[in-house]
Amino acid sequence: MSAQKKKAFQIEAFKHRVVVDPKYAEKTWKILEHAIHEIYNHNASGLSFEELYRNAYNMVLHKFGEKLYSGLVTTMTSHLKEISNSIEAAQGGLFLDELNRKWAEHNKALQMIRDILMYMDRTFIPNTHKTPVHELGLNLWRDVVIHFHAIQSRLQAILLENVRRERSGEVIDRGLMRSITKMLMDLGPSVYQDDFEKHFLEVSADFYRLESQEFIESCDCGEYLKKAERRLNEEIERVSHYLDTRSEVKITNVVETEMIESHMHRLVQMENSGLINMIVDEKFEDLGRMYCLFRQVSNGLVLIRDVMTSFIRDTGKQLITDPERLKDPVDFVQHLLDLKDKYDKIITSAFRNDKTFQNALNSSFEYFINLNSRSPEFISLFVDDKLRKGLRGVTEEDVELVLDKVMMLFRYLQEKDVFEKYYKQHLAKRLLSGKSVSDDAERSLIVKLKTECGYQFTSKLEGMFTDMKTSQDTMQGFHASHGSDIGDGPMLSVQVLTTGSWPTQPITTCNLPAEILGICEKFRNYYLGTHTGRRLSWQTNMGTADLKATFGKGQKHELNVSTYQMCVLMLFNDADRLSYKEIEQVTEIPTSDLKRCLQSLACVKGKNVLRKEPMSKDIADTDTFLFNDKYTSKFFKVKIGTVAAQRESEPENQETRQRVEEDRKPQIEAAIVRIMKARRVLDHNNIVAEVTKQLQSRFLPNPVVIKKRIESLIEREFLERDKGDRKLYRYLA
Amino acid sequence: MERIDNLFYSFANRSSGMIDPEGIETLCSDMEVDHTDVRILMLAWKMKAEKQGYFTLEEWRRGLKALRVDTVSKLRKALPELEKEVRRPSNFVDFYSYSFCYCLTEEKQKSIDIESICQLLDLVLGSQFRAQVDYFIEYLKIQSDYKVINLDQWMGFFRFCNEISFPDLSNYDPDLAWPLVLDNFVEWMQAKQS
Repeated sequence: MSAQKKKAFQIEAFKHRVVVDPKYAEKTWKILEHAIHEIYNHNASGLSFEELYRNAYNMVLHKFGEKLYSGLVTTMTSHLKEISNSIEAAQGGLFLDELNRKWAEHNKALQMIRDILMYMDRTFIPNTHKTPVHELGLNLWRDVVIHFHAIQSRLQAILLENVRRERSGEVIDRGLMRSITKMLMDLGPSVYQDDFEKHFLEVSADFYRLESQEFIESCDCGEYLKKAERRLNEEIERVSHYLDTRSEVKITNVVETEMIESHMHRLVQMENSGLINMIVDEKFEDLGRMYCLFRQVSNGLVLIRDVMTSFIRDTGKQLITDPERLKDPVDFVQHLLDLKDKYDKIITSAFRNDKTFQNALNSSFEYFINLNSRSPEFISLFVDDKLRKGLRGVTEEDVELVLDKVMMLFRYLQEKDVFEKYYKQHLAKRLLSGKSVSDDAERSLIVKLKTECGYQFTSKLEGMFTDMKTSQDTMQGFHASHGSDIGDGPMLSVQVLTTGSWPTQPITTCNLPAEILGICEKFRNYYLGTHTGRRLSWQTNMGTADLKATFGKGQKHELNVSTYQMCVLMLFNDADRLSYKEIEQVTEIPTSDLKRCLQSLACVKGKNVLRKEPMSKDIADTDTFLFNDKYTSKFFKVKIGTVAAQRESEPENQETRQRVEEDRKPQIEAAIVRIMKARRVLDHNNIVAEVTKQLQSRFLPNPVVIKKRIESLIEREFLERDKGDRKLYRYLA
Repeated sequence: MERIDNLFYSFANRSSGMIDPEGIETLCSDMEVDHTDVRILMLAWKMKAEKQGYFTLEEWRRGLKALRVDTVSKLRKALPELEKEVRRPSNFVDFYSYSFCYCLTEEKQKSIDIESICQLLDLVLGSQFRAQVDYFIEYLKIQSDYKVINLDQWMGFFRFCNEISFPDLSNYDPDLAWPLVLDNFVEWMQAKQS
């Protein structure tokens, strides 16, 4: 499109020279004034829009806009004054109705008036910065009608009274309420707020303050919360029906403050129905309701969490200090798991899986589990029980579930190295006695431990499994090469254990019976033939034997016994009676082990293949033992050896503790050296912090022990004190 | 020079060629000083003597030359001056650590038994820090955590005497890198005081 060329001449607007009649303005105004009257008197139908419009147009055009505008103001005002009076005159319930009706009419009138005065609205008013017609109409309504003192106070009172009535259960005209509040909103948010909302909130606060006081005296916690919830929902519904939406958050705030926040503590602590009772009785619905309500007030959830946490801690503390519970470790751990399950369920179903609650639960468990120094041992015993018999016939998925739960408890332990010690011992027993329910389950747990603690933790454990497998292969090789030699002799099955991987055992003396010495030597030679440079020593305190025994009346039984027991029993092939001293001399089994061994052979009902004289409970040096010809049992196979892992006696426990402490020393030193090698110079507090951090996956080091180790390292010239700043240590390369 | 050497040989053992404990005792009685007197230790320090109870010719020469003496009576007269010199703060730390090392008689020995430590403390620090030494000695005798004291702990105690107000111990901070034996000592003191 080409640009238009500038025209040589311009066309100007046609100017009509009008003669202005001085009375013109007045006349025109009168017409319009009359029209306004008619409009307010519902006689608009007789008017001509076109005529009126033109009149208004002309007035503005001829510079009489001011007169028009001020006339409008005056006229409208006087009409509104009349309307005020008629509203005021309305009685009782009709007041609101009248107000509403008149408002609607005013709006209609205003609309018409605005249409007529459109030209003024578009030109004169913006130019003179005056209030536009519509807005003017609203302002006048506000000032003349609503803020007319007689109406203002009555309006407020009636609105609030209606709300009160509805709250006490009466039915009110919601539509009317809606219209009125909408009117207030239309007049301006500040009108709505100052004339209504502010007072509404105040009155509501008083109302709920009173009501909550009543409720709290008469209801239990659950009931109270139901009522509070109901009132809250009511208010929300009220807002949606006849209040401005922005009032919702304000009124709910009021309800929450008065009904929940003010009584928070009392509700939670309420006797027989408070938070603790809900938890104990597993009232999920009530708990969920409490959670949702308390969430809305500041520190509401903090309160619930704190009360729950201290309750868990107390319960846990009670559990782990209860001597009855501690008698059976498996039962004890099961209780711990049940307790965790219970709270997990509460947090999932009632507390929306709130992470802060999860954390509080975890820290509580961590707190009290570590109060009992035997927790690591007990958890290992629990695992032992499961892997021996508890998981027999259980599906793979369920096995995983149980093991995962065990891992969860394991994570809470501060002294993971103690657990490792016991786990190793118990695992060794399981492997050697072939009592593990499922090899897969064992390995699965090792993998989980490895994932949690790293390769170092499990490398030795895996070593044990390897030994078992290797031994199987060795035995195959042995039988293949010597199978024909055995003939009628005893059958030997050997597990060769690598010293470093298995729990350390003291070497004990024990003279094996002649009958098996032969085959034992054969094996030793066979093994050392293929593995030069190794040393083998028989672990006589860990073996088992199956003996075929024939008793007095010819009853045959197969006895499953420990190696020690075998050594003792074999003696009775050559003698019917033997004294304690004789047995001790020949077998050279250590005293306490021998006594225990004899006790299990002679003093246990159903297993007494030996008889003891005298028949006392304990083994004395002066006792004599005889083969029990009269022994009977309804089972062909009789198990006499003790193989299952037991909870340690006090002295044994002390010993293990000591060993653990000894093991920790080099670990602490290694950590110190590692840290100092990297940092070169570091102050005392930081060393302690770093060492603690490095070792926390295994145990919590004692700061005093750390200091001792540092001093030992100084003495051995790995570190020195800084000559200037006495707080620092230096690494000596 | 000759006079110093001759003096040496008057106390030295014929066969070993060194002044041995017997010789030292003779020297002490000639100087009218008890052989357990701290000034003998100070003399050893001045000589930088290596082995407790023995002086070699070299050490003798070193010491007497430094003191500018060549007779017993001159040596005796030089002792007060020597003591002043040793007690000067700049020298005392060195003397203090020397006295510990001087008592390490065995080849690889790194620590000294409690009994000897108590005696040494009394000798070396007794005049300067009477109260601290007495209390610490009492503590060492009744505690059972340590059967020997090493150099680090020895030096630590000297620092302790210099820096920590006694007996209130108000500025002792157990979180700092004080040797553990001193932490325990302070704990024991505080238990006694309450």
